[in-house]
This record gives sequence, C-alpha cells and structure tokens, in this order.
Amino acid sequence: MHIYDYIVGAFQEAPFLIQISLVVVVAMIITIVILIIGLRATRSLLKIKDKEIANYKTQYEALIVDFLYSGDDSDEMSKSQRSIIIKLKSGVRIPSRQKSIITILSSLMDEVSGEMSDDIKSLYRKTGLAGHARHRLKSKKWHIVTKAIWELRQFGVYEGQEEVSKFITHHKREVRKEAQLYTVDLFKFEGLSFLDDLELPLSEWHQLQLLEALMTEGNPKICDIKPWLRSPNVSVILFAIKLAKIYNQFEVKEELISLLAHPNKEVRSAAISVLNDLFGYETEELLQLSKDAFSYEEVHVRTAEL
Amino acid sequence: MESSTIKIILEVFHYLFFICSFLAILSYILLSIISARETIEYVKKNSFVNYKHILSSPISPSITIIAPAYNESLNVVENVRSLLSNHYPNYNVIIVNDGSSDDSLEKLIEAYDLEYVDYEVDEKVKTQPFRKGVFKSKNPAFEKLIVVDKENGGKADALNMGLNISDSKYVACIDVDCLLLEDALQKMIKPFLEATDHKVIAAGGVIRIANSCVIKGGKLIEVNLPKNLLVQAQILEYLRAFLLGRMAWSRLNGLLVISGAFGIFDKYIALEVGGYDTNTVGEDMEIIVRMRRHMEEKNEKYKVAYIPDPLCWTEAPDNYKTLISQRNRWTRGTIETLRKHRKIAFNKNYGKFGLISYPYWLIFERLAPIIELVGLLYFGILIAFNLVHWEYAVLFIALAYLFSVLFSLVALFSEELTYNQYKKKGVGIKLILLCIIEPIILHPVILYAAIRGNIDYYFNKTKKWGAMERKGMSSGETN
Repeated sequence: MHIYDYIVGAFQEAPFLIQISLVVVVAMIITIVILIIGLRATRSLLKIKDKEIANYKTQYEALIVDFLYSGDDSDEMSKSQRSIIIKLKSGVRIPSRQKSIITILSSLMDEVSGEMSDDIKSLYRKTGLAGHARHRLKSKKWHIVTKAIWELRQFGVYEGQEEVSKFITHHKREVRKEAQLYTVDLFKFEGLSFLDDLELPLSEWHQLQLLEALMTEGNPKICDIKPWLRSPNVSVILFAIKLAKIYNQFEVKEELISLLAHPNKEVRSAAISVLNDLFGYETEELLQLSKDAFSYEEVHVRTAEL
Repeated sequence: MESSTIKIILEVFHYLFFICSFLAILSYILLSIISARETIEYVKKNSFVNYKHILSSPISPSITIIAPAYNESLNVVENVRSLLSNHYPNYNVIIVNDGSSDDSLEKLIEAYDLEYVDYEVDEKVKTQPFRKGVFKSKNPAFEKLIVVDKENGGKADALNMGLNISDSKYVACIDVDCLLLEDALQKMIKPFLEATDHKVIAAGGVIRIANSCVIKGGKLIEVNLPKNLLVQAQILEYLRAFLLGRMAWSRLNGLLVISGAFGIFDKYIALEVGGYDTNTVGEDMEIIVRMRRHMEEKNEKYKVAYIPDPLCWTEAPDNYKTLISQRNRWTRGTIETLRKHRKIAFNKNYGKFGLISYPYWLIFERLAPIIELVGLLYFGILIAFNLVHWEYAVLFIALAYLFSVLFSLVALFSEELTYNQYKKKGVGIKLILLCIIEPIILHPVILYAAIRGNIDYYFNKTKKWGAMERKGMSSGETN
C-alpha cells in the first residue's frame, strides 16, 4: 500500500509530458504482452487446425475414393455408396469439415475426367453441398458469394443458373467475373450472351479464363461473333478478335478489316495480327495501301506476324 | 554565444526530434493499418483463383526471365535448372554472363549442351559488347534457355542486354542465385493482365530469406529458421518491410522500389525510358522512379503492383562485413536515385508520387539515419554538459524501443495469419524473442552501414558494388 501511494504520488507530481509518456509506455507494454499471448495462442490454434484438416483429409479422402470405386455397372447406387453419402452428409453439416470435403472434391476434379468427374459432380449434389452453395449466394459478403459461384461452376451445378445470372453485372469485379465464368464454363458459347450488352471492361486475365473455359468443349458450336466485333466496348472487341483467331472465323473478314480504322490502337494491332493469321499475304496488300495510318507498334506486330 | 541563445537552439532541436519521432511512429501505425486491410482483401480475392487456367492457355503473354551472372560458377548450373522448372507456359530464360572471370560459361555450356549461335541484337539500349556471344542448347529439353556472354559492364548493363535480346512483352529481372517458386510467374503476371482502367508498369514480390532452408533440385522443400542470429534478425526485418511497408505502399500506389532480386516489368515502358541506369548502384529503385516519372509526365494512369506471396527466396548475408557492404550500397543507391529525380520532390505536377511517396522516402529512408546520428551526437553533448533530464530521456528511449518491438510483433502476427512459413515447433518463441532483441543486434549495424553509405557517396565516389560472398543454397541445406 505504501509503495502504491508513493507511485501514485510521484505520478501526480510529475510534469504532464512525463505523465503522458508513462501512460503510453504502460499501454505499449500491455499491448506487447497481449500480442505475445495472442501470437502463442494463434500458433497453437493454427497447429490444431492443421492437424484437424489433415485428419479430415485422410478420413474423407478415403471415403470419397471408396465411393468412386464402389459403384457397379447399374445406374443405381450401391449399398456402400449410400452409406458413404450418409457419412459425408453428416460431415457437411459442420463448416470446417464441409470445407475439407469441398477441397478434396475440388482437387480430385482437377485430376480426373470423364465418368469419374461426373461421379464427383453427382456426389457433390447428393451430399447436399450444392444446396449449401446456392444458399450462400444469398450472403451479403462478396467473397462468400464468389466462392459459392466458384463451387457451382467447379461441380457443374446447372440448376444455379437463374440465381447466378443475377450477379453477371455485379458491382464487385470478383463476383461478376465468377458469375460470367460460371455461365461460360457450363453453357459454353451460349453463355457468352452477356457480352451483347456488357458495358464494363473485361480484363485480359478474365478473357484468358473465358477462353480456357470455352476450349474444354470438344466440338464447339460457335455462335455469331460479328456483333461483338462491332461492340462499343473495346475489351469485348478484343475478346471477339481472340475468338476469331482461335476458332478460325474466316467469315468475319469484313468486320476485321473495318477494325483497321478503329480509334483504339490495341484493337488495330489485334486486327492486323488476326488478319495476318487468317488471310496471310492478302492482308499484306491491304496494309500496304494504308501503311501511313499505322504506328510503329502496329507495323511491328505485322512484321512479327509475317 | 549567450546562454539564452544556446537554450533556444536546444529547444529547437528538442522539438525537431520530437516531431520527427512522432511522424515516424504515426506513419508506421498508418502503414500497418493500410497493409492489414490490403492483405485481407488480397487473401480473399486470391483464395479461389485457379492458376491452372492460365497455366495451359496458349495465348498467355510471353515473359523473359533475365538473370545476370557474375562469377557465379559455384551454383550457376543448379540455379539455371531452378529457373527452367517454372510452370508458366510461355517463357524463356536469358542468362547474361557479365564478363565473369571464372568458369561459369564453360559449366553452362557443358551442363546444358550449349552451342554458339549467330545472333544479331537490335540495340535499343546501349550496352557493353559481346565477348563470346550468344549460346543456345542443342537439347530440346532446354530450348527455353539463352546464354549471353558479354564484356563486364555491371548488373544494370547485363539487364539492359537482356532487355535488348528479349522478344517478350514482359521481362522478369532476377538475381541468378534466387530461387523462384514454380508458380511465381503466374502470380506475378496476374496484376498486369487484370488491370483495365490503368496500366501496370511493374510488379514486385516478397523476397524471403533462404538461409538454412532445404532446397533440392532447384525446389524449396523445407523452410527453417537459421541458427545465425544476424540472419534471423534480417528475416524479421524483411517481414516488417515486405508484409507491412510495401503492402501498404502498394495499396497507396506509392511503391518506389521493387527489389532487384525479383521484379516483372512491362518491357516496352522499360525500353521507352531507356532501360536500366548503369551509373548507379541502386538501379532497381532508379528504374521504377524513372518509369513512374515517365508515366506521370505522359499523364497516363498506371500502377506499380505488389504480390505478397512468398515467391522468391534468396540468401542473406550471414556476417557483419557482407551485411554492412550490402546496406552501404542500398543507401548509396537511394541517395543517387533521389538526387537524380529531385525535381519530383514536393512537386504537385507528379501528384501523390511527388507529394507523398517521394517525400516519405526522402525523410524516412534517405534522411532517417542522418537524423538519428545527429540525435545521438546531440544526446552525447547533453550528457557531456550534464544537461540531460534523465526521467524524460529514459522514458523516450523506452517508448522508441517498445514501439519497435510492437511493430515487429505486428509483422509477425501478419505472417502467422497469412503465409505462416515458420511452422516448426519452438520457432514461435524464438521469433518472439527475436522481436525483443532485434532492435539491439541489427539496428545499430544498419545505422552504421547507412552512415558509411552517406560518407562513401560524398567522399568516395569510386566505390561501386561490394562483393556478396555466396555460400550456395542449391545443395541441400544452406547455412
């Protein structure tokens, strides 16, 4: 008590600056102690979580692989498959286990194809995960919605189309990108209809992802890309030019030629490149006629292509 | 001088130091808050990105990795193997042997079955001439590799040679001894391709310290905390700088430097500004400042991007001599760059770049060691004349020290919650102890090196690069 009184007395008698500094020093020491305890606790929690995830992984991976290999030739599910689904369904109810199951299914999807991939998609639905993802589309948090759309795309849940299409023009870029990828990945060229009246720009990264999604189709039914080559949105034109190049769209020659007079340099360069690709020396003559209209980079593109 | 005049001078000094300390602490707090927000956003945005999509795309933009090598014979073969094992679909590697006096070239020729090829260079940036010329591999497995043997001209000159030879849209300039993770190029190219309303002119990544890590076949197998206290302290310093400082500056689009160890550039803009400056030892900072200046003067919207993922691992100095030499060079590089582009300082025509980024670097990077030295000298004078109010002095020293510990702990927290690279048992407590002792074991050395850098800049103009002694990190575990 005596020491306490002495400290309080000394503090009260100290100049104001000393008083403030002392308060800050004590506050800092307390914060440091809290941070150290927090750090220790965080590390321990992360370790426990890692262990838990590893356990779930072993447990559910074995179940999922069993499911995939325990089917018979009939369309009906076998008894053991039904019991696996019951076990997985009980796991899906717990968020941390649900996350592990989705991670396992997703990584398996990246490794397999054909019938096995269809089985995984069917398992995703039967365990109720598709319903959970569609429910999460109602969330107000953008990253939860985006993750849900990503899941529906990854596991080919066509039933989510109506709900997902609402996000195609979402104000948050990540959400609308994922929604656009969903429609294209699942409905291929038909899913590209959002380009008709798209006002926001498509980044090059997103264009690459869309093209990748289209390329997974063996016999693509290519739609008419002419309207997109006339779009007021430069990024849509650039994307359509890429489509013309990849899918050898000889029938859009007139539109491509008209793009040589486009005010955007990038569009002109891309048009030169694809014309060279599709029509070779025919384009060279065309370019000779109006070579003064092109910049150094455009000529460079032409030279590199030829 | 009258005693009242001396008293006024002392008072002025008091207030100046107080304001400087207050501003420094305030800036660190602000940077921490901004970086926390940016990190959370980054993690959310990238939690479901599948890099495999761009991995197989035939229309992925091309990237050239340019790696200058000078007397790297010890590790060059393994390091090149690591560079060739990247997962990106459309890239090539140019190794520029910058007049090495050792057998680097012979080792590369033998290991990669190289043969001389007749090569005409379009010299967009002037460089030192070829020595033995350009080599390519006869083995199709190494078709991505180009080795250029040229006369010695320094790192910047070697990078310029790479810029001249590259036919890609983007160039990744890296130190040949750095270890790049396999998905490094995919992650680094993303900001360039994602931008729609502005142009990304360059992107930098986090540099992590590889000492004591297990590396096999050019791949990072295990992350370990080194035993050497000096290296440990640098790990903490890098965490603070990359996870808090640069992350926040990236959010503010105010990054003035991308580490020379690993950065990607838009090649056209790098060439438009004339490539790397061969007359500075801080070419990595100088080219970024020049590119930014160029974009500001052209009045074009741009960004220097930053990727916080641990993608590039390098060897840090493990002795005081090499560390001092390295930091001395960094200081001279900063002074040279800021002096060369002093027109930008406090110039409203350069927007945030001139009014925030440049002044911040000038005060808290360029002048900070000088202010600190003056402060120490001033404190010494006060002690000598018995003018110290010890109750104030002790409290202020305690405040500075505690803030430094606090800032390190916040950086550590950020690391644990995001990338959590140091997972091994017992490492957590070591890192916490490190936060407590780091201000004593590393800061004085950094201050000394910075002061030496200033002295060398003004009084020893002939001093260029100091030698970095490599122990090598390619054969299993490094020291």
